[in-house]
Amino acid sequence: MSSNTNSKSNEDMRFYGTDRYFLSPELGSIVNIALAMDKPLLLMGEAGTGKTQLAFEVARALSMKIYVARCKSTMKGEELCYDHDTVARLYESRFGSKETGRDPAKFDDYIVNGPIGKSFLAEEKGVLLLDEIDKTESDVQDNLLDILEAYEFTIREIDRTIQAKYKPFIVITSNAKRELSDPFLRRCYCHYIEFPTPEQMRYIIALHYPKTSENLIDAALNIFYALRQQGFEKAPATSELLNWIGALKIEEVSPPTLKKIVDSGDRLPYLGALLKRAGDIQAYTNRINGRDRSADWDKKDTFSYKGY
Amino acid sequence: MAVTEALIGIKRIPFRIRVISEKGCLMIFVDFFYTLKEYGVPITTQYILEFEEALKKGLAKDIDELYILSRLICVKRIEHLDGFDCAFSKYFFGIEMPRGGEYVDLFSLLESKPFKEWLDKQIKEGKLDFGDVRWRIPPQDLFKKFLKTLAEQNEAHHGGNKWIGTDGTSPYGHSGRSAGGLRVLGQSQRKSALKTIGERRYINFADTAKIRSENLRQALETFKNMVPSGPKTELDLDETVYRTAKNAGEIEFIFRSELRDKIKVALLIDNGGYSMDPYSALVSIVLSKIKDRFKDLKIYYFRNCIYGNIFLDQERLKKYPTEKLLVQDKDTRVLIIGDASMAPEELSYPDGAIEYGVNDKEPGEVWLKRINSRFRYSVWLNPIIKSFWLDAYGTNTLQMIGDIFHMEDLTLGGIKNAVDYINTQKE
Repeated sequence: MSSNTNSKSNEDMRFYGTDRYFLSPELGSIVNIALAMDKPLLLMGEAGTGKTQLAFEVARALSMKIYVARCKSTMKGEELCYDHDTVARLYESRFGSKETGRDPAKFDDYIVNGPIGKSFLAEEKGVLLLDEIDKTESDVQDNLLDILEAYEFTIREIDRTIQAKYKPFIVITSNAKRELSDPFLRRCYCHYIEFPTPEQMRYIIALHYPKTSENLIDAALNIFYALRQQGFEKAPATSELLNWIGALKIEEVSPPTLKKIVDSGDRLPYLGALLKRAGDIQAYTNRINGRDRSADWDKKDTFSYKGY
Repeated sequence: MAVTEALIGIKRIPFRIRVISEKGCLMIFVDFFYTLKEYGVPITTQYILEFEEALKKGLAKDIDELYILSRLICVKRIEHLDGFDCAFSKYFFGIEMPRGGEYVDLFSLLESKPFKEWLDKQIKEGKLDFGDVRWRIPPQDLFKKFLKTLAEQNEAHHGGNKWIGTDGTSPYGHSGRSAGGLRVLGQSQRKSALKTIGERRYINFADTAKIRSENLRQALETFKNMVPSGPKTELDLDETVYRTAKNAGEIEFIFRSELRDKIKVALLIDNGGYSMDPYSALVSIVLSKIKDRFKDLKIYYFRNCIYGNIFLDQERLKKYPTEKLLVQDKDTRVLIIGDASMAPEELSYPDGAIEYGVNDKEPGEVWLKRINSRFRYSVWLNPIIKSFWLDAYGTNTLQMIGDIFHMEDLTLGGIKNAVDYINTQKE
């Protein structure tokens, strides 16, 4: 198999994080091991832990091209590799193909490559992102096994096997809504990304808003992690926090003002940046208006003993 | 880099391992993989080869990197992480932690209703402090306390019941056969107690059973109902060629809807009665697989036999009228999981139900027949293996139910047969 004769060899490729992405040392080692071993990296974890972002940042840091496949439940998997434009071929066989210069007698002229196909045929090593793989049906995952294992796929109609010229670095993300099959998992390096700790969150904020005052970050983090505890349907995650801090900075809300608002039980400024669902905003509003007090007590009584 | 060299080069590796690796022996790492296996982490030869390759590439320079590397190679599911950590600490640091299995067991026990009720009571009565419970008392100790209280209660009220087992091997002493939740009430004296009065008991068919069976997934994979649905976006090539030829070569495109899986499944599970106890682990595997597989899946619970109400929750508190089930889509595939073993009265007499509070004028048999005639596709899956059906406890009722429903056993083969049976039923 042709590999590494190109400009970059796997051994010199190391990823150290970027100016926009906070990389925990553990995740850093993981990315570099996966790169060195030519193995697909499966990242699991809740939304807002930077799974997708990581793929983009690896591509940027190592100046590789990124090929993105966003998965949908209606996908069959094959179209991620290639598609054959039968309609165009039939059309051109009847009305001529002068404008496009394709030859209806040739199957190849009507192949449309999907993200996987493109990354396999590329003349350079790239990053291939399969985003939210858990949205696909389980037979799609089975169809992808050859891709993950041997970096090849077959164009069925003409029985031709396409092998990656330079094995792309495959990053797969999953919210773990549905379980992935064992054969699929066996072919990947799997890592579960934990939600950032307040300490790590500080670094992340500093990367995005370098000149934020410590006081504002303190106040914002307190509010943010408290909100996350309150059991909203969609708890605010990293990107919500960053947007919110952005808004606070632009409007120059000072930390004392923020503290005053919280202490007096008023509605937080720019709440819409933190909570996205109408139901969550309603629940929040009810709570600060005191209407939901009884519900709060109920919750305490039926406290779940999970997770000791 | 040679493997031995790589091994010797790993920084901060404990002395014990260093000595062995200097002798140039890769066996130690093979040993490590066997340790993993002992702790329930599934290992294949491929992993060992991969590990060797990674060592040659110099990917483990210190013990931390070694940890991350071996974890990446070996742990594919989050539920194996604990087992891995235990194995790693045992092998490399000589520290033995309680096994993963015990933790898993313990947590499922901590989730169980009786324990929660006990804990609630303790906190309310001020015997335990909430903060202590949450942070300071290790769950093992907490659970031991619980067992102690219960043991005392049992001594006092029932003159020493057996449930905190003298006959089990489990570290928490309940009798070894109970694979799922926690046995709190006394073992029923006779299996067919006509009316079991007392607290309800349920087997917790946890979704997160440890054992998984890949084969089962594949067996269920053929269980489909492909129907054309959605917008007409797929080119029907055969029809297009045919029409075009008819048109003397003037192209006419024909589109059709894609085939999508529109299968509906209703799963009825017997989760009560001691006769189902030994099968709870098996049922939970099947349940977790079925849940993954079907998008349109409804689960109902019943105890021993089906009467006028079935239940939406495992505790059998939320009633759901069986009549409502009977007006659901005829094409729903109905799977019933139960041992079909009960007292004959439960099946054929009015008021035969043994569940406290269930008084139904119509015998279970009538309800079962109604379900069978309403749905085109139904199968009874029995956890008792087929060859024991004639000898099993409750063989009478098993035969009677077998006359109403097509019955298969809850084995891989049985499930395949059931799927085949349903797939070959014509409308």
